Amino acid sequence: MSLPLLTLIVLLPLLSALVVFLLPARLARRVALLAMAVVLLLTTWLLFSFDPGGPRFQFAERQPWLPGLGIHWSLAVDGLSVLFLPATALLFLGVLAVSWQSAEDAPRLFHGLLLALQSATLGIFCAVDLILFFVFWELSLVPVYFLLARRGVTVDAPRVAARYVLIMLAGGFPLLLAFIMLGSQAGSFELGVLLEQPPALDTQRVVLVLLLFSFAFKVPLVPLHTWLPQFALAAPGTLTALLLGLKVGGFALVRLAIPLAPDAAQEWHWLLAGLGTVTLLYGAVGILAHSNLRVGLAYASICHVGLATLGLSTLSAQGVQGAVSLLLSFSVATGGALLLLECLRLRTGSTDVQALGGVAKTMPLLAAGVLICGLAGVGMPGTSSFPGEFLLILAALDRYTGAGMAALFGLAIAAGAFLALYRKAFYGPASRPAVLAAGDLVWREWLVLIALIAMIVGIGIYPAPWLDIVRPAAEAWAAAIAA
Amino acid sequence: MNGEIFWYQQTAVPLLALVQLLPLLGAAVVLALGERPLAVLAGKLFAAGELLLVAFTASRVDAALAFQLAERIDLLGYHVAIDGIAVMFLLLTALLTLLMTLYGMSRGMISPGRLFAVLLLAEAGLVGMLLTLNIAWFAFFSALELWAVVYLLRRWASSRAETQALARFVQYQGFGLALFVAGCFVLGWGYAEVTGGRWSFDLFDLTGTLPAGKFQTAAFYLLFYGLAVRTPLFPLHGWLPNMAQHGLIAVAPALMVGVKVGVFGMARFVLPLTPDAVLDWQAYVVGFAMAGVFFTAALAFLQTNLRRLLAFAVVSHTSLLVIGLFSLHAAGIQGAMLLAANFGLAVTGMWFIVGFVFRRTGTTELGELSGLFERIPFLAIAFLIFGLAIVGMPGTPGFDAAHLVLEASIARFGALPTVATALGNVAAAGFLLWGFQKAFLSQEKSGSHDVDRTQPMEYAVCGLAVAALLAIGFFAEPWLQLTDAASQAVAGRFAR
Repeated sequence: MSLPLLTLIVLLPLLSALVVFLLPARLARRVALLAMAVVLLLTTWLLFSFDPGGPRFQFAERQPWLPGLGIHWSLAVDGLSVLFLPATALLFLGVLAVSWQSAEDAPRLFHGLLLALQSATLGIFCAVDLILFFVFWELSLVPVYFLLARRGVTVDAPRVAARYVLIMLAGGFPLLLAFIMLGSQAGSFELGVLLEQPPALDTQRVVLVLLLFSFAFKVPLVPLHTWLPQFALAAPGTLTALLLGLKVGGFALVRLAIPLAPDAAQEWHWLLAGLGTVTLLYGAVGILAHSNLRVGLAYASICHVGLATLGLSTLSAQGVQGAVSLLLSFSVATGGALLLLECLRLRTGSTDVQALGGVAKTMPLLAAGVLICGLAGVGMPGTSSFPGEFLLILAALDRYTGAGMAALFGLAIAAGAFLALYRKAFYGPASRPAVLAAGDLVWREWLVLIALIAMIVGIGIYPAPWLDIVRPAAEAWAAAIAA
Repeated sequence: MNGEIFWYQQTAVPLLALVQLLPLLGAAVVLALGERPLAVLAGKLFAAGELLLVAFTASRVDAALAFQLAERIDLLGYHVAIDGIAVMFLLLTALLTLLMTLYGMSRGMISPGRLFAVLLLAEAGLVGMLLTLNIAWFAFFSALELWAVVYLLRRWASSRAETQALARFVQYQGFGLALFVAGCFVLGWGYAEVTGGRWSFDLFDLTGTLPAGKFQTAAFYLLFYGLAVRTPLFPLHGWLPNMAQHGLIAVAPALMVGVKVGVFGMARFVLPLTPDAVLDWQAYVVGFAMAGVFFTAALAFLQTNLRRLLAFAVVSHTSLLVIGLFSLHAAGIQGAMLLAANFGLAVTGMWFIVGFVFRRTGTTELGELSGLFERIPFLAIAFLIFGLAIVGMPGTPGFDAAHLVLEASIARFGALPTVATALGNVAAAGFLLWGFQKAFLSQEKSGSHDVDRTQPMEYAVCGLAVAALLAIGFFAEPWLQLTDAASQAVAGRFAR
């Protein structure tokens, strides 16, 4: 491979962000559109050139960056991560389309930050040097902080943004500590090397605890989830879509936490299973307690990462395949629903059911879109989430019958609670002036909607090609832990 | 460690002498020009020239060697040499001085020419401290720089409480200096005892005749606490918040804590000259420093003034430096040195921005500042970048340095104290973000000050500092190499 494809994918948005600041403000969104479209093309190309049966890490690039500290600019994709790249590219394009006209006061800042966030997110998925991973992990905080603090929809958005950054920084230090411990023992921060020679069990235990603690904030797992509902309320739907749609926390659990400490994970699988089950049930009940659709979706997402964690704790190929599929489906289902809710908020000024009602009458397309995304979110058969959820439930029932039953119960509550919220907001008489005055989706949003539905239904009906990409990697993952 | 290479083996001219004389010459020229407008220009030119000269010197330094470009005049006890760590601090000193001259500190001040002369004199003091290998000369240059800062505070202070702040400053610093001089005396006396009445304060001489037992402990305490006042290290930091709040904005605090000569002095003199006492007292020093991280972070949250807040930020992160240094681990020492340079640059940048804000609003009370982001977005973002550098965000030198300190701390003190210290650092992040939000992001209050847009000079000063930080952060390798051999040399004494 002569062309450094992954470096190009990761750095292109960042370079475009610099271009955005150099060009006149009116060109900002066009530059962003161009860059994001190119990234989508590149990631799609990458996906089609990826060989699921080939070596584990493909398109690998490795350049010394800080040789004095043993840190390399090392990027690669495997079957677990390759699908996340086009999903990221798509979701960012969706965000750009939905906020096309809502960033006119400071277009360069907004689009520059968005592009920077895309670079950091893509970097998280591609980095196979632990410290490089950490760098992208932390760098993603800066754009999120500014996007929330400057463009939040509530008065206390700056406070929520600071709280988010502080919580993530607090979670970041254990992460760095664990990486340094692993790296100083193995003499390398390269993921491939570390996977092949896991450290002694004592070290593994410490590493697992540190990594779990750190990722539990981002995922988020109960009881470290408290920032998310606040965040969902204070942030515009587009930003929440990026955070909830791109589950870097869940990805990090699959990619790093468990494989880097395989024996400790086997020893403490019950801990993961317990955390997952509690999170799932808590999330499901949480939806019941809220009247804002964005917060409801945040809890729905907490519920589903709980399920993914429960499935992962089985340490089986089925579980990890299901978890990755479900996390991927989030980008279209949860991400899509939040994008559509942002369209709703821009029109009516709220996504609280008490300020809505009868939205389906004035905005039928939007209502249909939210319903389809929402159904995908609760794992309806025929949608993109179903294969993942099915695999996860099977894996969970197989390993821990009780937790599996509890998970089924929790998912039923979540589905019911979501539909109840949906009914209140979208049906009934339309009495609010804001709802009556609102117009339905315009063509930009139409495009987003069509793309979402095509993916949700397409993947839901014919999931085999996607699952086939993940399967070999998932089997290797489970085999490495069982070894 | 006691090897050195003389200047005539490496270059045609005694570079270090030139580096030390140029700011002195500059001070003399600017003073002679009096209050003509030319004086200010000359001051800027001399500061720029010094940066170029230092950069040239740095290019002649071979990082793999220990002390080099050495110069000696035995009669005066004059002995200078440079190593990788000193190169880094020297570059920082020259850069900060240049930024201070560009910052336009003389705007609206009486006798700007005199101000520039004093600034160059302070630079001369700092440069002297960084280069000398004679502990008495170090004390002398320290006194020179302190005198310059006291003069600045006395003549150009910006607030009515200045007398009290100045008195506090003089008490603390005078006491610290006295301790340090006493420590020098103990070491010199020890040397005289061994050699039969011949006194010397030279680092190389003294390392050969380390005092034993309680004399070494006494020397350690005197030198360490003398420098701890200067650094400033909790609980000896009382002078800084007052001075920061009432002194000349930006320039005075930047001179005192921008270049961390206190920590530098500990690495250069205290660790090599009192190694046994350092090992004995390591646990206490580190324990105090860990407590200091939290104590000062808590105090910082109580501040209502942006200038005092920054002062506490300095004290809090100084504790981190000391933890790195007293890990007595090569990586930790290297990390502490890089961190010191990073903090110095970042904090000075923040202080400049506070100065810019003060010029616009006439206040630095957090309760009175609001919504500045709308008016001066560039300065706001620069402030945040400096803050992130202090927290150790990847992409700034703070990250590479914190990485090293953490590595050393795990190796020496175990995971738990390290996690605690790291959490203290998050607390630092907390109060900096809090201050940032109050001043820059909060909703603009009605009837608030009419704030001017960012000016070209402000773009230049902050842009330069931000560019330097990011460039070093993303390409930290040369700096790691530069400081590697020197850190190994310091840690070599404590190899276990």
